[in-house]
Amino acid sequence: MIEIKNTEIGFDASLFAIPEMDFEQGKVHILMGKNGIGKSALLNTLSGLISPIEGSLTFDEKRLSEYSYKHLAKKIAYVRSNVKGVPFLTVDAFLLLGRYHYKTLLGGHRLEDYALIQKAKDLFGIAHLADKFTNELSSGELHLCAIAKAYVQQTDYILLDEPTSHLDYANKRKVYELLGKMANEHNKGIIISTHDLDLAFKFPFDFYLIESQSKTLKSVKTFKEVEKEFEMG
Amino acid sequence: MNLQGSNKILLPIVSFGIVILGILGLLIGDIPTDGMDVYNAIFSYSDGNISELIIREIRLPRVCIALIAGAALSIAGMLMQTLFQNPLAGPYVLGINSGASLMVAIGILSGAGFLSSELGLIGSALIGAFIFGLFILFTASFLRSQIGLLLFGVMLGSFVSAIITILELSSEAESLKAFALWSMGSLNGVTIEQLPMIFLVFILGGVASLFIVNPLNLLVLGEEECRLMGYNVKRLRLMIVFITALFTGLITAFCGPIAFIGLAIPNLTRILFKTQDHKLLLFANLLFGALFLLSCDILIQLLSAWILIPINALTSLIGAPFVIYILIRKIR
Repeated sequence: MIEIKNTEIGFDASLFAIPEMDFEQGKVHILMGKNGIGKSALLNTLSGLISPIEGSLTFDEKRLSEYSYKHLAKKIAYVRSNVKGVPFLTVDAFLLLGRYHYKTLLGGHRLEDYALIQKAKDLFGIAHLADKFTNELSSGELHLCAIAKAYVQQTDYILLDEPTSHLDYANKRKVYELLGKMANEHNKGIIISTHDLDLAFKFPFDFYLIESQSKTLKSVKTFKEVEKEFEMG
Repeated sequence: MNLQGSNKILLPIVSFGIVILGILGLLIGDIPTDGMDVYNAIFSYSDGNISELIIREIRLPRVCIALIAGAALSIAGMLMQTLFQNPLAGPYVLGINSGASLMVAIGILSGAGFLSSELGLIGSALIGAFIFGLFILFTASFLRSQIGLLLFGVMLGSFVSAIITILELSSEAESLKAFALWSMGSLNGVTIEQLPMIFLVFILGGVASLFIVNPLNLLVLGEEECRLMGYNVKRLRLMIVFITALFTGLITAFCGPIAFIGLAIPNLTRILFKTQDHKLLLFANLLFGALFLLSCDILIQLLSAWILIPINALTSLIGAPFVIYILIRKIR
């Protein structure tokens, strides 16, 4: 479980505060808020890329900063909003990088790794892209691959920064459904920042809003509470 | 469809080419020799035989250094390109050569005691390459654009050549000539006694590269992605700069500046093998780089009756158009 108490989040200066909030496993947490309010900053902080401006986070009862990079990579996967395609890197090779820390001593991969990748490709419907180079994919396809890579990492938590903004409607739905399924069936904690409010509220997820007036992270129950925030701006 | 599987057959073909051209390199030259001389020169060398002497003391070191220099500079280029995620990076364009050149220039032109000795030259070339490598790494941390970094490397080169010109003007005729010859690049300066040491340093760099092929595969995704996958990038970057400086400094000290190999060969191998698997790329660069420089040297030997071409001029003549081709390909 990720527990946050009296923490200020931001890149260089504080953007907003979190008085108290827990992100449990087995649930999908949807993070909402205006542009620039600090959604990415929060996800970067949770992934360990940056430190909170003030306060500290605990992850499974240990401070996040006490985890080694390697240990953290086995616990938390992070799909960033700006995924880049790389020339001559195939989708298969890209997905295999998700199993990086499970390499054998000689630097090879186990059979399970390949099976897992096959499963990820089937789940996300990207099997037909397997031999394509990642720089030749559309940004929607590339994002699907990046989410599949996070799945392949087999972590307790998956963080996703606006994962659906490049996807068409059918794929948006599919991604939310799949992430919901992973949370329920595999007890993963999933935290997503998004602007796809209408769609997200169709699912039984937990919702959070970074409120621009009070500059705090709040839990919200209904779509109405969120509507208010976006109309005010 | 990617062709990396079927293109793997290129590796044994290139290895075979190296053997054939290696033997050819021992056979040809001003003084005619035959296969028997080559065999004797290597396996049962006798002092008095002039053909065997030429093969052993002149041709053998030249063939060996051509292979080592080609391989080392190509691997250095591959490392730079992955480190900066820039297909136009290389030890020469980024000015790592310049660091070594500057130190060698100071050594030769000043003619000062230890610095101008053999060991002094090599040591200072290595240090110069390493310092310039760190300098570029440091600059890259805030100079984000690919072109910006290349321009920085070119500026570094101009700056150093200006200093070298000043040094040249105030030095004596003899050391000036020695330096001019060195700066044209030559594979003739290495003696058979120096080979084991060069080979040892090369192996050291090669083994070190083999140790980082896995993180290199991760590094192509970018530094933050690397960090998210649990790998400490800082150590890896230092390691890359260290290996590159080792290779570049070593070769620059012994052969002078050799341009474009470190830029052209890694691009060629990536295009041929269409992969980001650095274990495969490492061996591909090793073999293709070695074969390329050896071919250049043999071409120079064959043409030497009519025209003398310095090695640095030939690699530039071939390499520069190839790099322009890559640029055009990239822009389209």
